[in-house]
Amino acid sequence: MFNSDIVIGLEIHVQLDTETKLFCGCSTKGNDSPNSRTCEVCLGMPGSKPKLNRKALEYALRLCLATECDIASELIFSRKSYFYPDMAKNYQITQYELPLGSKGIIELSNNKKIRINRIHIEEDPASLVHPAGMYNSSSVLIDYNRSGNPLCELVTEPDLTSPEDAREFMKNLISILKYLKIYDINKGIIKADVNVSVKETNYTRVEIKNVTGFKEIEKAIIYEVNRQKKDPSGVVLETRSWDSENQITISLRKKESEEEYGYIIDPDLSVCDVNKEMIDLVRCNLPELAHQKISRFVKDFGIKDEDARIICQSKELANLFEKALQDGISSKTAVAWVRHELNRVLNYNKKTLEDLELDERQMLVLLNLIEDKTITENVAQKILEKLMESTFDVKKYVESEGLKSVSDDGELEVYCKEAIEEGKKAIDDYKSGNEKAINSVVGLVMRKTRGAANPGLVLKKIKDLI
Amino acid sequence: MNVDCELVKNIAKTARLELTQEELESIKNDLSEVLIAFSKIQELDTKGVSMSIQPVEIRNSFRDDEVKESLSENEALSQTNHKKDGFFMGPKSV
Amino acid sequence: MSEDVFNIKKLNEEYFCFNTISELQNASEGILKDYLISVKDCICVKDMETTAGSAILKGYKPLFNATAVQKVLDEGAKIIGKTSQDEFGFGSFSLNVGVGMKYPLNPINKNHVTGGSSGGSACITKLLKNHISLAESTGGSIVCPASYCGVVGLCPTYGRVSRYGLIDYGNSLDKIGPMANTVKECALALEVISGYDSKDSTSLNVPVDKYSSYLERDISNLKIGIIKEALGDGTSEVVRNKFDEMVRKLRDKGAVIDEVSLPLNFKYGIPTYYIIALSESSTNLSKFCGIRYGVEGDLKESYNAYFTKIRSENFGNEAKRRILLGTFARMSGHRDAYYIKATKVRTLLIKEYKKLFEEYDVLISPTMPNQAPKIEDATKLSPLENYMMDVLTVGPNLAGLPHISVPIGKELDLPVGFMVIGDHLKEGLILQVANEVEKNV
Repeated sequence: MFNSDIVIGLEIHVQLDTETKLFCGCSTKGNDSPNSRTCEVCLGMPGSKPKLNRKALEYALRLCLATECDIASELIFSRKSYFYPDMAKNYQITQYELPLGSKGIIELSNNKKIRINRIHIEEDPASLVHPAGMYNSSSVLIDYNRSGNPLCELVTEPDLTSPEDAREFMKNLISILKYLKIYDINKGIIKADVNVSVKETNYTRVEIKNVTGFKEIEKAIIYEVNRQKKDPSGVVLETRSWDSENQITISLRKKESEEEYGYIIDPDLSVCDVNKEMIDLVRCNLPELAHQKISRFVKDFGIKDEDARIICQSKELANLFEKALQDGISSKTAVAWVRHELNRVLNYNKKTLEDLELDERQMLVLLNLIEDKTITENVAQKILEKLMESTFDVKKYVESEGLKSVSDDGELEVYCKEAIEEGKKAIDDYKSGNEKAINSVVGLVMRKTRGAANPGLVLKKIKDLI
Repeated sequence: MNVDCELVKNIAKTARLELTQEELESIKNDLSEVLIAFSKIQELDTKGVSMSIQPVEIRNSFRDDEVKESLSENEALSQTNHKKDGFFMGPKSV
Repeated sequence: MSEDVFNIKKLNEEYFCFNTISELQNASEGILKDYLISVKDCICVKDMETTAGSAILKGYKPLFNATAVQKVLDEGAKIIGKTSQDEFGFGSFSLNVGVGMKYPLNPINKNHVTGGSSGGSACITKLLKNHISLAESTGGSIVCPASYCGVVGLCPTYGRVSRYGLIDYGNSLDKIGPMANTVKECALALEVISGYDSKDSTSLNVPVDKYSSYLERDISNLKIGIIKEALGDGTSEVVRNKFDEMVRKLRDKGAVIDEVSLPLNFKYGIPTYYIIALSESSTNLSKFCGIRYGVEGDLKESYNAYFTKIRSENFGNEAKRRILLGTFARMSGHRDAYYIKATKVRTLLIKEYKKLFEEYDVLISPTMPNQAPKIEDATKLSPLENYMMDVLTVGPNLAGLPHISVPIGKELDLPVGFMVIGDHLKEGLILQVANEVEKNV
């Protein structure tokens, strides 16, 4: 039934970045001291009633549209009953009968399409604190600040076939969430339940519950795949949890039967219409999505699909690229310096464009200087690296440090003659047949000009002179 | 519809209720009698009939995403003695 | 201690109609300034113990007023306490009180039941002057005790009065409504408590009618339907006779009165009502597990054991029975045949009423098929027999239709209730007819 060795499915919970909770007006941000953002509704006090936050629906719709889901014509909530200390009502208001979105897609870089089974809205339970660790505490401490937070649950089909796939999927999802502005990257929480099975066990499905953060998700999958492959006969249909401290999965309970959730449609809430008008309104307020931008860049700027994909992975990078082109930078230069060089330097320094307090005007100045060859590539690279640390006036710096390309022939000749003098031995070696020896003389000139000379021109000059 | 002790115990477990043997017997009979009587609704043809969630048409009840004042921590915790350092205390979760 | 409280305490020692006696008054001006208001114990009053008649909520003092309560307070009313009831509304006699609690006695004859589940409310309404009670109905819990205790009970259209602050029994069935000694006082109370509430998602956003203005309109232009199934052998001869007598008087006043039939409702109403009500209430009662409020225990066991202990010790037998039935009705494997099916049948039952209302202004029937039974007889009934007592009241409750019970047969040893049912949001019309009935008693 499965083609691949490893089969992975993800059930991801994303906290939507609304100001208030899903069913009450308590703030989702601010005071973090326990139970400081609660009311009778999110505390599950008898007599209280829920009322749906319109913004949560809007945000969830954005995600459904961005992942090309079919949209349900009605929004219906259900009660999912189960008893646990973090449940304010011992039922969760979620969507069961009719999820908001279904049959969506998220694409990976290898053109693999990961199908999305469903996207729906539900409320978050409270947070538990175990004073002496989960297994040793005699009681739990409960904080209802989180209770009632709006979550969007996204369930994939078991289309992922490796931990790397899963990692990329999560990265793409987060990129989409950032584009859509529905998720707070700093304070928002992403959790996933991961289903993993391997061929060796005849695809016996193991669920790893509640893994937080996409790096942990990848690690959990790697661990679990190895565990299952190492001892296939010991694998049973069960639920495990990810112990991030010890980096292992541990058995939680055997899944003998489906949990009895006893769903009913929540009679405290009204059914809501999700009609064409509403969808169109959300759609036209959607920021351009990554895949749309990629197509546009390829078409309008004549760049390669692969390059467009890399650039568009980061909204900031894409914006910078687009601005550069609008500024008159050629796509050749922009690709070389934004898609390749800038990315390389960012990755090397393990930073993203957002992390830096980079004044993008300075980047544009730099690109302009490169474009009209005012500075050499060498100098440009150094300036770029310097910009990683802090922003500064690039034009002034180039002036004050005398970094303009030495393209003036006379000036170049002076430097070359000096270098030939200093590098006598190397010149002799070169004349004796060592082709490479001349490079050190070129190097001397480069040092003298602090990289402001074009190495190609320098070489030619030196050869001419000797 | 066969209502046996096993079924009643199952339902009770789902609902977090524990019944004495006596209660189990008596409730088993009650449930049986009631469920048989109630199952007659299955006679009615409801093909194409939609579910009524409320008895009157109520749709599109929304709230704007505006912050309302929350309870103070003291108010929130005022109804219980099981509290510590601003947290509610509950039974252990394993 | 005020004189009011003193009097009520004395009455309560005799009739057990209150779970809590306590005074609360915010404003001293308003249309209700001369009224004492009792509130059924399932309706939240801030800082006043509110248990919904259950031991599991002992000690719970809500942090907010129910919207309906706030409205009466804003009109100058003085609240005097929380009335006794069947636990969470689970009953038709108010005998199913919570563990360790006392059931109310019929104010006309203490050997008889008050009816339920708003028994305490009906009882104290009969005993006091210048008093209105805020009661609640899910399957008939306002009109049934009104009928048995000889007072007026009005249950408005579902969504007419906010449910915010009402401790849920069946969320799609619960309504708050007034009980009083006269139709006029019920009309007045309804004007105060009705209205859109943005905190309640199922609150109807329609303007509040001037209900009192309907009271002096004559009924000669009205077309009235007598529900024929309500006058069969299941209804006692006394009730049928008293009912027929009143119908004759109404005919004399010019109303056009025909016989109508509701075959589907009478055949399937009770199971449909109970399956839906119990499916909903079994989820509503899940929150009661000994944390955050109400009864608490020692936190030494793990959560399942702790929850189970608290719930098993503090829910009464009927509550347990209904939780089990409701849980069953929505369990996978049974859900389609019970819960889902019932919600679809409900659609058909509502349609049956709506068809009649195309032709008729109101429908009438006795409220209950009998007068208040003796307590010892009522306790002998099986659960199913108990449920069947609701046969005349589940219909309008399931369909969310406004209905009112007016006491007739004052000369009898125990009163009979005359019920008027209207189409959605036609509270004015039913008050108009009810007023006429009251004038002709």
